[in-house]
Amino acid sequence: MKVADYQLSQYLPVLILGIVAVAFAAGTLLLSVLVGKRGRDSRIKDTAYECGMLPVGAGGTRLSVKFYLVAMLFILFDIEVVFLYPWAVIFRSEAGREPGVILGSMIGFMLILFIGYLYALKKGAFDWKH
Amino acid sequence: MNLSLLTLELGVIGLALALLLIDLWTPPALTGRLGLAAAIGLLLILALSWNMSGGPPVVGCGGMFARDGLALFFKRLFLAVGVLVVLMGVEYRERLALGFGEFNVILLIALAGMMFAASANDFVLLFVAMELMSVSFYVLVSFQRSRLPSLEAGVKYLILSALAAAFLVFGIALIFGVGNTTNFAALNAEGVRLAQDKLYWLGLLMVLLGLAFKIAAFPLQMWAPDVYQGAPTPVTALLAIGSKAAGFVLLLRVLFVAAPVLAAHWSKLLMLASAVTILYGNLCAIPQRNLKRLLGYSSIANAGYLLLGVAAVNASGAAAVLYYLAGYLFTLAAAFLVICVVMRDNEDIGALAGLSRRSPLLAGALALAMVSLAGVPPLAGFLGKFLLFRALIERGAAESPESFRSYWLAGVAVIGVVISLYYYFAVIRVMYWAKDPPDLSPIIVPARVQIPLAVCLVAMIYLGVMPGAVLAGATEAVKALKF
Repeated sequence: MKVADYQLSQYLPVLILGIVAVAFAAGTLLLSVLVGKRGRDSRIKDTAYECGMLPVGAGGTRLSVKFYLVAMLFILFDIEVVFLYPWAVIFRSEAGREPGVILGSMIGFMLILFIGYLYALKKGAFDWKH
Repeated sequence: MNLSLLTLELGVIGLALALLLIDLWTPPALTGRLGLAAAIGLLLILALSWNMSGGPPVVGCGGMFARDGLALFFKRLFLAVGVLVVLMGVEYRERLALGFGEFNVILLIALAGMMFAASANDFVLLFVAMELMSVSFYVLVSFQRSRLPSLEAGVKYLILSALAAAFLVFGIALIFGVGNTTNFAALNAEGVRLAQDKLYWLGLLMVLLGLAFKIAAFPLQMWAPDVYQGAPTPVTALLAIGSKAAGFVLLLRVLFVAAPVLAAHWSKLLMLASAVTILYGNLCAIPQRNLKRLLGYSSIANAGYLLLGVAAVNASGAAAVLYYLAGYLFTLAAAFLVICVVMRDNEDIGALAGLSRRSPLLAGALALAMVSLAGVPPLAGFLGKFLLFRALIERGAAESPESFRSYWLAGVAVIGVVISLYYYFAVIRVMYWAKDPPDLSPIIVPARVQIPLAVCLVAMIYLGVMPGAVLAGATEAVKALKF
């Protein structure tokens, strides 16, 4: 079997990119140790840099569960668009061969999403008053 | 694309979506009816599946989806589990606290995933079906949000299942990288050439590892006891029966449809996994006090027995796996129905004390289930184990100079069965001969439990005494596989 026949050989650039990335990260660290001048440590210097603010208090604050709901619904309908675009691009060429399949599959997909939308609506996921 | 191929799956998904919509306009007091409606709907789809039998095997949807005897056998199995588990859910309803409608819907979607798995003829469909199951189970296992063990089980299942899925998808990537296709039939056609490539072997090994998680076999078995214990009882039942059966149908398809050329070479590895799984499950089950946890370890041991049939790499072994799973379905469903009714907040085996006087029906059912799991004739569990052992001995006889391996494994399996007698009979002993049971109030068993329980008991005995019909069906079904 020749190397060129090998499916995985197509990924050689990816491997090279990976090696370069690791070498760059490790190289800069190493270089700064070798070339750089070691400064003095102090407690203030070791604190996290927060745009000049003093980092005080807990790292995370409690958010209303509504934000998560909105995020989930956003992703749901975002994905819908992600699927719709390529579908629209190939629609013309596919419709010539099997018109029922290409239209039917998207209608089925939208129908399921619509049921999900009805569910979210009825359960009050869009209701910000409560 | 031929939609009539997908009738059963579309039926289940349609049922799930309809229930989701109806639930929105149903007052909370009536949601129990929706569970019954789901059970009736699944029964109708099961009846429809009998209408579809016969006809030559068909491969459709771009070569991804196979409709053959094997797929149909497993789909009937899954639908039967579905009916029993949904009825269990109705009994379990008050303990779920919230979202009984959603519980049923997600249950049905998991079931649809299993049914797609039964027909998988392509690694892509295999992966999608597995994920459909897994994602549904993440939600189902942690459904009792306010109960800590349920959440813990959910997190464990999520992390370990993701680990297994990573193995699986990496294996699929390697197979695709070498074979340039994910289709089982196309991989089989190229089998001899691909077998020369070590990466193909590595890919298959990783896929097998991913499947070992689903069937709870060594080396990815450690999640089973914790998750079985923490999950709501109906979900445990679906995990123990449905998820395991789905893992086995995928294992059979990958080994004997996609890579039959290599299947014989995997035999040694499968035998090792089987032996370790049997010993691990049975030995760890001995000290267990929590009945669901005990059944978790027993489920691991049973995965080991089922692997015997796969490791035998012959038609009788595969048919024995199918028959064993059918018997296992009714046996475990009976056990979990009893657990559902009796063990409300205390799942310790001690809570069964005096059950023979509280409800002779439940005690008898659980006793029969335990006896069947232990493999005592004339119940389904005995004949299933017998057939698996026989297939293994046949394998041994076929490769005669190296037959010692099969005989060794059969010996290990027999030792496992002997060990299991101890803990199964310990359960029976508590029910019938416990001293001074603390609670002797009679348990009223509602009809929605009595009927499925009676069906399970009849099926357990019927499968053991008159195995002819199911065994013939299993033998017919495995003709879809190549050995």
